[in-house]
This record gives sequence, C-alpha cells and structure tokens, in this order.
Amino acid sequence: MTTIVSAQHVNKVYKMGETQQHVLKNIELAIKEGEFIAIMGPSGSGKSTLLYAVSGMDQITSGRVLFQDKELTALTEEQLAALRLQTMGFIFQQSHLLKNLTIFDNIILAAYLAKIENRQTVNRRALELMKGMGIEELANHMITQVSGGQLQRAAICRALMNNPRMLFADEPTGALNTNAAIEVMDILADIHQSGTTIMLVTHDIKVAAKTERVLFMVDGQIVAEHTLGTYKKEQLKAREERLVGWLSQLGF
Amino acid sequence: MIGHMLKRDVLRNKTITFTLLTFITLSSLLMASAMSMVVDVWASVDRLFQQAKVPHFVQMHAGSIDQQRLDDFTKKQPLIQAQQTVEMLNIDQTTLFLKNRQQIDHNSVMDVSFVKQNQSFDFLLNLHNEKVEMASGEIGVPLYYMKKYDLHIGDQIWLATDEFEMAFTISTFIRDAQMNPSLVSSKRFVVNDMDWQMIKAHMGQSEYLLEFLLKDTAQLHEFEQMYQSMDLPQQGPTITYTLYKVLNAATEGLIAFVIMLISALLIFIALLCIRFIMMAALEEDAREIAVMKAIGIPRKQIQKLYLTKYIALAFTASTAGYVLALFISPLLTKNIALYMGVGKQSVWHYIIPCAGVFVIALLIIGYCQLILRKYQHISTVEALRTGHLTEKSSSKKGLLLHRSKKVNIHVFLGIKDIWARLNMYSVIGIVYMMCLFMMIVPVNFLYTIQSPSFITYMGAGHSQIRIDLQQTVDIEQRFLHMQETLRTDPDIVKYASFITSGYKVELQDGKYDSIHVETGDFSIFPLSYLKGKAPKQLGDIALSVLKAKELEKDIGDDIVLLINHQKHRLTISGIYQDMTNGGKTAKAYLDVPPTNILWYTVNVDMKQSIILDDKLEAYRDAFYPAKVTDVAHYLAQTFGTTIAQLQLVTKFAIVLALAIASLMTMMFMKMLLAKEATQIAIMRSLGFTVQILRLQYTIRIVCVVLLAIVSGMILAQTIGQVLLRQLGAIMGAPNIALLTHPYMSYLICPLLLLSIVLIAVWLSSKGLKQQKMLMKLGGE
Repeated sequence: MTTIVSAQHVNKVYKMGETQQHVLKNIELAIKEGEFIAIMGPSGSGKSTLLYAVSGMDQITSGRVLFQDKELTALTEEQLAALRLQTMGFIFQQSHLLKNLTIFDNIILAAYLAKIENRQTVNRRALELMKGMGIEELANHMITQVSGGQLQRAAICRALMNNPRMLFADEPTGALNTNAAIEVMDILADIHQSGTTIMLVTHDIKVAAKTERVLFMVDGQIVAEHTLGTYKKEQLKAREERLVGWLSQLGF
Repeated sequence: MIGHMLKRDVLRNKTITFTLLTFITLSSLLMASAMSMVVDVWASVDRLFQQAKVPHFVQMHAGSIDQQRLDDFTKKQPLIQAQQTVEMLNIDQTTLFLKNRQQIDHNSVMDVSFVKQNQSFDFLLNLHNEKVEMASGEIGVPLYYMKKYDLHIGDQIWLATDEFEMAFTISTFIRDAQMNPSLVSSKRFVVNDMDWQMIKAHMGQSEYLLEFLLKDTAQLHEFEQMYQSMDLPQQGPTITYTLYKVLNAATEGLIAFVIMLISALLIFIALLCIRFIMMAALEEDAREIAVMKAIGIPRKQIQKLYLTKYIALAFTASTAGYVLALFISPLLTKNIALYMGVGKQSVWHYIIPCAGVFVIALLIIGYCQLILRKYQHISTVEALRTGHLTEKSSSKKGLLLHRSKKVNIHVFLGIKDIWARLNMYSVIGIVYMMCLFMMIVPVNFLYTIQSPSFITYMGAGHSQIRIDLQQTVDIEQRFLHMQETLRTDPDIVKYASFITSGYKVELQDGKYDSIHVETGDFSIFPLSYLKGKAPKQLGDIALSVLKAKELEKDIGDDIVLLINHQKHRLTISGIYQDMTNGGKTAKAYLDVPPTNILWYTVNVDMKQSIILDDKLEAYRDAFYPAKVTDVAHYLAQTFGTTIAQLQLVTKFAIVLALAIASLMTMMFMKMLLAKEATQIAIMRSLGFTVQILRLQYTIRIVCVVLLAIVSGMILAQTIGQVLLRQLGAIMGAPNIALLTHPYMSYLICPLLLLSIVLIAVWLSSKGLKQQKMLMKLGGE
C-alpha cells in the first residue's frame, strides 16, 4: 500500500509574547492509503494540532508534510484550498454547518463549488448519501431544528460529497450521546470499508477500538503505537479490552 | 472594576471606538460651529447696526425733494426720532476704473453711487466699525469691491468721462450696514464733502435716500403704512430695518443651515453606529453577562457597566468637538467678521454651542439606555448554553441553493446572508444612503442656484439679456429710443418690455400700502406660476407669494389699486415667486397708461449666431445709462457669495460623506469578520480560498451599496426638494424646483461612493488571511 500522508521532523511552536509553547516535537508519521488511524492522548498533548498540521489546515514551524507526494508547505493558499476541496474531507467535534443554509444546501455547497459534476448529479448523490445515513427527511430543515447526532451525520455527508481520498475527523463523537456516538462510528467504519483513508482524534476508547492503528501522544510527541488490525464487529469487546490494557500501561 | 473594563474594551475594539469617537466629535464640532455661526451673525449684525445707526425705514426716491415738507412731516409725527435725507450720486459703471485706468467692468450688476459721510445716523464704517472721515483725494471702497478685485489700501481708483477725470486713493474699506450683502445690488463709495461736490458738478445722477429713525421699532409697520398713505416722495423702493437684518444674515444663515443639516445627519449615523456596536458587544459578551447574572450581580449594575463606556465616550467626543469648534469657528465666521465686524463677545458665544453639544451627548446616552433596555431580558441559561443572545436568522429558510439552478454560488451566498440578516445590513445600507444624500443634495442645491432658469424665482422670465433703465430725467425718451432700436434689430429673436410703477393697494382696514406693479406683455418670456396664470386680460393682476400672503389674498380674489387717485378693482389671476425687492411685487394688465414710473426692464433673446458679448457691448453704448446685463452674470454676481460658500460646503460634504462611508465600511467589515470567524473557518476547511471569500464579502456590500444608491437618489429628490422649498419660502420663492445635475447625481457621486466602499471592503478583508482557522473550529 502506498503512503498517502507522511510527516517528517514536524515541529510546531506557538509564540505567545516572550514564552514559547512547543506543541509538536519532531513528529515522524506515515499513513498508508486506506488506513484507519486514531490519535489518542491527554488534553493538550497535541493530537488536534497534529491532525491539522498533516491536513495542511495549519502551518508547521519546521519539517515536511507530504500529502500524495505533494509537499504541503510548498503549496500556495489557493492550491491548499483546491486540495482540501477535491481530496480531503473534514469532520469536527461541533458539526460546524453554515447556519443560514438548510441541511441539504450545507451538504451540496462544497460540491457546487468544486464543479466536478453537474448540479443535478450532485443533488442526486447528496440525497443518496443522506438516505444512507438515515437523514433524508431532514433535507429542508435548518440546522437549529435537528439533533446533534443528526447534524454530525449531515457533516459527514458534506465531507463525503467530493469523494475525498482521506477524511480527517477531530473528536467527531465528542459532543454526542452514547447512542449517537456509536452510530457515527459505525458510519465511519463503513466509509473506511469502502476504501477511504481516515485519521481521527479521540478520547474515547470505544471509538478508537474500531480503528486499525492507535497512536498515543504525550507532550507533543508520539510516544507509543498499537496496531489493532482490521475491525470486525464481533471482536469489538476484545479490541476494547486490549486497548484499555495498553493505555493503562501508558498511564492514561 | 468599571475603569478596568472600560480600558479593556477600548483596547479590544480600537477601530470601532475610534470610529465612534470620530463621528460624535465631528457632529459635535459641526453643531457647535453652526451654533456659534448663528450667535456670531446675530451679535455682529446687532453691533454693526448699533454702531452704524441703521435707519429703521428708508424710502429711495429718484425725483426732486421738498425738504421743508419732509421736516414738517417729521415734526408732526410722534413716531419719528430723527430724519435724514441722503443724496447719492449714481455713477455709470463705465466711468469707474478700478485696478487700472484702462479697464472697465461692464459685467457688474451693481449700481455704483458716491456719497458723503452722514451726519446723524446711517454711518459708513471702516473695518474697525468706526465712522470714517475722508480727506480730500481719499476714497472709502465697499468691501464687495475689495473682495472682487482684490483691492488694497493705497490703490488708485479713477472716475473719468470725456471731459472730466478725478483720481482717488483708497484709504479705507467700507462696511455699509445697508448695502453690504451681495444680494443688495447697490454699493456706496464714500468721499470727502468737497470732492463729492466736485463730482456732482460734472457727472452722476442724484437719487435720494429718505431715512427715518423711529422711537420704537415695534411700530415700524404702522409707520410704513402711514408714510405710504401720505403724499410724500415715493419714486423708488422702500426698505425696512427688518429687511436689512434678513439680507445681512441670509448668506451666513444659509451656510449655518446646511452645516446643521450635515451635523444632524452625522448624529443619525453615529446613533446607527452605536446600535450596531452595542448589539455586537452584547452578543460577544452574552456568556459573561449570563455569568454576571448567574452570580447575582443586579441587572442595573450590569447595565451600568455598559452605559459607563458610552457616557465616557459621548462626553469625551462632544467635549473634543466643542474644543475643536473653538478653533474652527473663526474660519467659518471669517466672512461674518469681515463684512459685519466682530460682535460683542458675550457668554452666549460659549453657552449656546455648548448647549447644542450637550444635547448631542444626551441624545447618545439616552439612545444607549434604550438599546440596553431592549436586551435586559437575556435568558441566563440560554446564553450560558449557546453563548448567543439571539439566533433569529437560523429558522428563516428563504432562498434555497439547490433550487437556484444557474445562480453563481458566491452571489447566492451573498444575497442569502443579506436576506438572513436584513436588520444588520439595512443599518449599513441606511448609512450609505445618507452618505449619498449628503453628497447629492448640496450638489443639486448648487446646480439649481447656478442655473440660468433660477431667474424665474426672481420674478422674471428667463431671457439672455436683461436691460434695466432706472429713474433719470428723460427716462421716457430713453425708453422710447430703446424700444425703437430693439424693434428694428434683426439679431433679436424676441424681446419684451416691462414698466414698473409705484402704486398703492387698499388694505382690509381701508389704509393703503405701496406696491410695485409691473405692466407689459407677460406671454413672451413666460414665468412659471405657483398658482393660476399670468395676467392676460384687462383687470388681471398677479401677486408675488409674499405680497399675496401679506394681503391675505388668493387667486380669484379682488384687490383695489389706487392709480392717479382713482380706484381700480383688479382680480388676482396668479401667484408667482419673487425674491427681489423683498419679494413683494405684482404684475398687472391695466387699461390706464402707467404713471409714477420707477423703472423699466427689457428682456431680450438673441439669435443663436450672435456673439452675446458683442451685442451687450453695443447695447451698453446705445442705451446708456441703462444697465445691460448678461443674465448668467447677473445671477453669478447676485448670489456670488452664497454660491462660493455653498461650493465650499458641497466639497466638504462630499469629502465627509466619503470618509464616513469608508470608515463605516471598515468598521462594519471588522465586526462582520469577527462575528463570522467560525463560518469563515468552516468555508475555508471546505476549500473556499481567501480570495473567493473576499469576493463574497464584496458581493454582499456591493448589493447593499447598489440598493442604497437607488434609495439615496430617490431620497435626495424628495426630501432634498422639501428642504429647498423650506429655504426658498423664507426668501419668497416657496416652490423652487430642485434641479438635478445629471452627471454628478446619477454617475459621479454614486461611482465615488461605490469605489470608496469597494476599496474599504478590499482593505479590511485583508485581515481574512490572518484569521486562524483552528481556533474557531475547536482545535487545541
């Protein structure tokens, strides 16, 4: 399998007045095409920063990030935007839909911008995706009229509209109740099954247990790595236990 | 704690605080300056009139005088304090040489007269408001000429005809309380008594000013009616103390009016601005407010926190405006100081502008309280949970992207946002509309007053040339000669002659008042009538607006004129606008030959192929001493000072409007970008580039500006017209039609506004690049 993302000697330093905060320290990371990877670690360990650094959403202080062999730091703002539009999808903890648009318009917006397919095809595809996530009846609702779980599913639909090569998810279940979180994770697992690479940040062992590989970060560094292998529903309990054991060894 | 919050708030919102501060300071500055102008005009006119001892009633008379009869009348009348007869020598302007001995000023519309200093009142003053005394060979020149020809003390002036020549040295400039304003078309030069006798022996025509000082000015009207009902000299117009005051104050008053108008607009914009800022600040601080409420801080205390900032801001800015006005006012009142001198400094000079500024500050604070009251029912729980006060927009569906088949998505998003937050965008829209209004209205005022057709508001039809023949010895002969020449002149397209006579009109109480009645063919150079039509058949009379108002008559009513001691009943056929002769005139179709003729007027239009200047020159030679004027020049000179000042105000208004538009845009954008930081971050994460987002903001603002431009134009046409009518009504022309300068109003001003706003949007959206996406999307 080819590497889709690789980070080499990545450092990120925040300057606040005279003090400096070294949030990513010499990170080395490679994610294979089709892989499902989770980043775990205590609050402030640099998990989200790493996710945004490797997706080109945030600039790094030093090092290199390669996405599909393109060096992100060398790209212009326009090229980065085009890359996000055509090959990446993002899911955030808060679903972050645009508040003036209906659920359906939110979903189709990026596809209309990309102009890869005509508007009719886009509309059809959006409806199919919504059907798949069980939210098709919410198409014309405004975002204040639906639940958090439904919003997050809409956000996933939006992220998938342009058939991204890779999904970046920052605590996608963080703001959801247990049932909604399970549903969202099952959807992500399905998406991965269909061949999309996923990198997600989470605190939740139940979530991480459905991924293939878990990285553990402390203080801006990846300190440990645990490979879980391909996810099968019936192995979930065992995978969770393995993870708990591994994490408790790490003091989490 | 309040001080700490204040400091933090100011530092956090530097641009916004600065903008608000600027607006309040500017509006206070303008208000204080305008108020100070009003006080100054008042004080200066008062002092000038006192020191010049301006007569209360003046009858101009172009015939002979029986002083004995006048003295008898004066003795018998208990109302009169003093009487004085002033003899003026009217000099043909072609015999007066200013600046150099060769150059004649043909285009002047002013009547030039030479006088001696008066003995008991109506003094001609120097620039220190002192009574001037001339030595032989010296001359005192009216300020109007000093300004127009840039004359200096020590310069030479010549009076010269073929047989006679006399040179004078300017020793002083004259402040003439009666004839200072350019609206008054006579100017008095002062010379030594001996020199005056010498001039009289060789040139000039005598005209008399019969001047009266009354014991009580309250009885002025009574005296005026009494004088006119007596058989006393009356060959010429009468002017009263009140009219002198109005004429002196008119020019500066107009400017003060326009400045106050701009100040009022600025206050309005400042209030919109405050509403805007307060709502944004409350929105931003919703969570903090909720926390304060949750820990039990009383509502009043929380309100005080917010109000303190605006009280501090309002008072700082208005004090700054007031202090600045102390420095700026002298510039604005320079003209007043020159023409009327500096009035007595009283405490009112400080109190009235201060009161104006104080009212502005109170208005602002009151408004803040009103806004805060609206927001006092913030739900603590809701604000703590969502961090928002209101989310009105989110339940409005409006336009749908997937149904808009071909619309560009950036245009769609722009319109959608405006639609969703109409309240917010309408605030900035109103500001743009006001800015355009502020630019167009003065431009059109100026255009109207400069237009040749403005003459119709002066009671005359629009013609190219106007010939005025005043009282002279053989006036009738000269008039006949003129008629003959014009009739045979092949260059003329059309001409019309009018004779103005001084008659008497019967009042309701049986007394008589004087009236200037013009007769002639009124159909050749038609005047647009406010009501009714021009006199067409025998027995028709048309009245000027102010005369009709004074006589309390309307069209269809009858009035009685006393002509040659005979009563003539006439029917009012129409009412027209006239700003000349105090705005009180009449036009009639009479079956009796005109008597008691005051002057003749002839209007002439030339063929297009004729060079107007040559023709004017030829007529001046042929019709001497009649005054031949190019109507365009006539207006320019009569309203010269007003036009110059209005030009200055217009430029100022345009610059100010553009400055306001750009400042408000930058502030609006800053707030918008801060408010929408999360939305922007979301869009960028979806793949929208910064350039595209800037384009979206530009589209939104352009939509708003375009709507504002259309409504601003409509507003300028409607409200602008109302304002002009208000102003015209005071001067005798209540129905001045506002003319629209097509290029300036419909093209240049809107384009200027649009460009400045675009630049401001582009500059302020530069900040988009610096915005950190992660902070807003929940990254660590």
